[in-house]
Amino acid sequence: MTLKKLKATDRMKQIMGGYYMMGEQAEVNGWITSGAPVELLYAMDIYPVYPENHGALIGAAKQGPHFSDFAEKMGFSRDLCSYARCDIGCVFAGTSPVGGLPEPTFLFACNNICNTVIKWYQVLSRIFKVPLFILDTPFIRKDLKESYIRYVHDQLYEFVDFLEKTTGRELSDLKLKETLIKSVQGVNGYSEVLKMAKNKPSPLTCFDAFLNMAPIVCLRGTDYPIEFYAEMKKELVERVERGEGAVENEEVRLLWDNIPVWYRLRWLAEFFADRNACLVADTYTNAWTGFISMDKSDVFWSMAETYTFSYLNIGIEHTAEAINRLIDYYDVDGVVIHSNRSCKPYSFGQYELQKMIDVPSVVIEADMVDSRVFSEAQVETRLEAFLEMLK
Amino acid sequence: MNVGYLCTYTPKELVYAAGFTPVRIFAGDEHISLATAHIQSYACSQARGSFERALKGELDVQAVVFTRCCDTLMRLADIWERNTDMKVYNLEFPSRIDEKSRDYYFRELQDFANTLKEWGGDVTDESLRESLKLYWELEEKLKKLFEVKPDYEAAKKVQEMNVRDAIEFVDSRLKKVEKSGKGPKVLITGSVCPFLEVYKLFEEAGFILKDDICTGTRFFTFNTPLKEIESVEDGLSFLVEKYFNKAPCPTKHFPNDDRFKYILELAEDCDGVVFLLLKFCEPHFYDYPQLKEKLEEMGKKVLLLELEFPISSYEQLRTRIEAFYEVLA
Repeated sequence: MTLKKLKATDRMKQIMGGYYMMGEQAEVNGWITSGAPVELLYAMDIYPVYPENHGALIGAAKQGPHFSDFAEKMGFSRDLCSYARCDIGCVFAGTSPVGGLPEPTFLFACNNICNTVIKWYQVLSRIFKVPLFILDTPFIRKDLKESYIRYVHDQLYEFVDFLEKTTGRELSDLKLKETLIKSVQGVNGYSEVLKMAKNKPSPLTCFDAFLNMAPIVCLRGTDYPIEFYAEMKKELVERVERGEGAVENEEVRLLWDNIPVWYRLRWLAEFFADRNACLVADTYTNAWTGFISMDKSDVFWSMAETYTFSYLNIGIEHTAEAINRLIDYYDVDGVVIHSNRSCKPYSFGQYELQKMIDVPSVVIEADMVDSRVFSEAQVETRLEAFLEMLK
Repeated sequence: MNVGYLCTYTPKELVYAAGFTPVRIFAGDEHISLATAHIQSYACSQARGSFERALKGELDVQAVVFTRCCDTLMRLADIWERNTDMKVYNLEFPSRIDEKSRDYYFRELQDFANTLKEWGGDVTDESLRESLKLYWELEEKLKKLFEVKPDYEAAKKVQEMNVRDAIEFVDSRLKKVEKSGKGPKVLITGSVCPFLEVYKLFEEAGFILKDDICTGTRFFTFNTPLKEIESVEDGLSFLVEKYFNKAPCPTKHFPNDDRFKYILELAEDCDGVVFLLLKFCEPHFYDYPQLKEKLEEMGKKVLLLELEFPISSYEQLRTRIEAFYEVLA
């Protein structure tokens, strides 16, 4: 079985190659977490470095255990997040699949994805001896309280001061508004791409979404995602017009939960395709579509709201609601849940979610980057049984 | 009503002032089985073990308060709420401890007081004044007791009782306590360890103990002297001050790496440092390599002991602790 490739993926590789090159030339850069408001950096022409994207790249290159080992030798436990371990490992190794990341001018961690990033970035700040800014977003278990938004809102202003002091540059309101507009456009374009999976058969799988998500994460607020996702959508529309599915004979439609198993992306894609099952959507890439409700009268307030109510920073009732929305929209038959050893906030609660969502689900135990914990036989047996049951 | 909590950043003074009894929840001695259907095995055994006790009906608590201290407890709140009859509340303690988060924490305390009211407990000027005074007394007495000789049994017990009984209990221990003998001094640092046998192993090996443990001195080490309060608001401001100046925990972000400084200072008069860490406890394990390096630069010997609750082999622990004693003695 050969997988159908999207032409867009080649273009994405070009764009991301350019993105990493830009990093080598950038005068100032900030290392930033995936859920943080990057728009403020782009608005000040500060290059954002994404250690998480770098971690994913290491995983996809099947280099996870190799680079993690450098960190483990320094005493970092194997139970820590594998993105963190690999990135820290690369710092000690002095290299990586992309030749290592440029040294940071400053560090910027937002805990709307996990509290782990606070610890990880503290470690980095001790290694590089550069300033660290923590954007603290309270967890919204039930209601989004005004006091939460106020707290985050005030920190955003403080962060602008931090940026201006650290880089000697000034933030222009106009440039910020332009960046935010581009961000919204990029997110909408990306959202439209993902929504193409509503078609039957679906012209894309979540594996296509994973492979092509880097621009919306790393280049959000620039022109690249706007152009790229428009192009990608065109390709998908063509597929739909031809009645062509990403998977031949799509019989079962599935939803993926959690970060991908990067080192097994291809294996999993083939596994499902061979069995006429299409993973049409996932909770991970969709996390970058729900946000940005931009009220232009107070962009800082909007940003605070958007970045606090993020997918991994909400209670289980909100999460179940979001998953059920996806199940309904994409007309999904079942959910494949990745219990990811590296990501506690994403994984704990999954057993409860199984009882709260509208379709059957299966849990597979793995890790996003550390292939040493992956048991092929076990995963295969579980998935086989699940698909059997759905058919 | 008894109100349970797991984290020492829980403002138990408010709970008591509302007329409820705050009770700390610890993992139990029994093998974890029921909890495995609700939370993965890579959650720490403090979380799984405490929840296990709730599922087994062993806890005499009617409500539980969570704080956002780590990703595991953040998620455990929902899991707990869905599988027990207890009321569950999450107080979002800020992860940043600095000037900017004070007002926010004050508002969180106000919201918490309102919830306590909904639960049928009223915090008044008088009740809060009384509660602050009682906890201050308890903390001072525990400090005094630990200065003579650390008493982990007392520390554990008082966390499970009414504060008035706790004060009496510490009084009775103060009457009996004798100064520890001579021996190499060791600082034990880590998250929680309610298993008293572990401390005994250190004492039996010949160590003099000092600790930075969440079930030990971090429970009662606050650095804000008691102040007379005029109003509830005044009392809440005092609590902001008190909890912001508490012995630091690695789940928080302090300006200027305050926790590292705190540990290095504690270690100054010790011969060695033992990291008593709970498997899967991310906040502590991130700090460990760099903190260890700094301690070794100070000339301290360092030992890492990784635990899972319930502790399966004390003999294995004993061997390692005795070997460490040989290194230091």
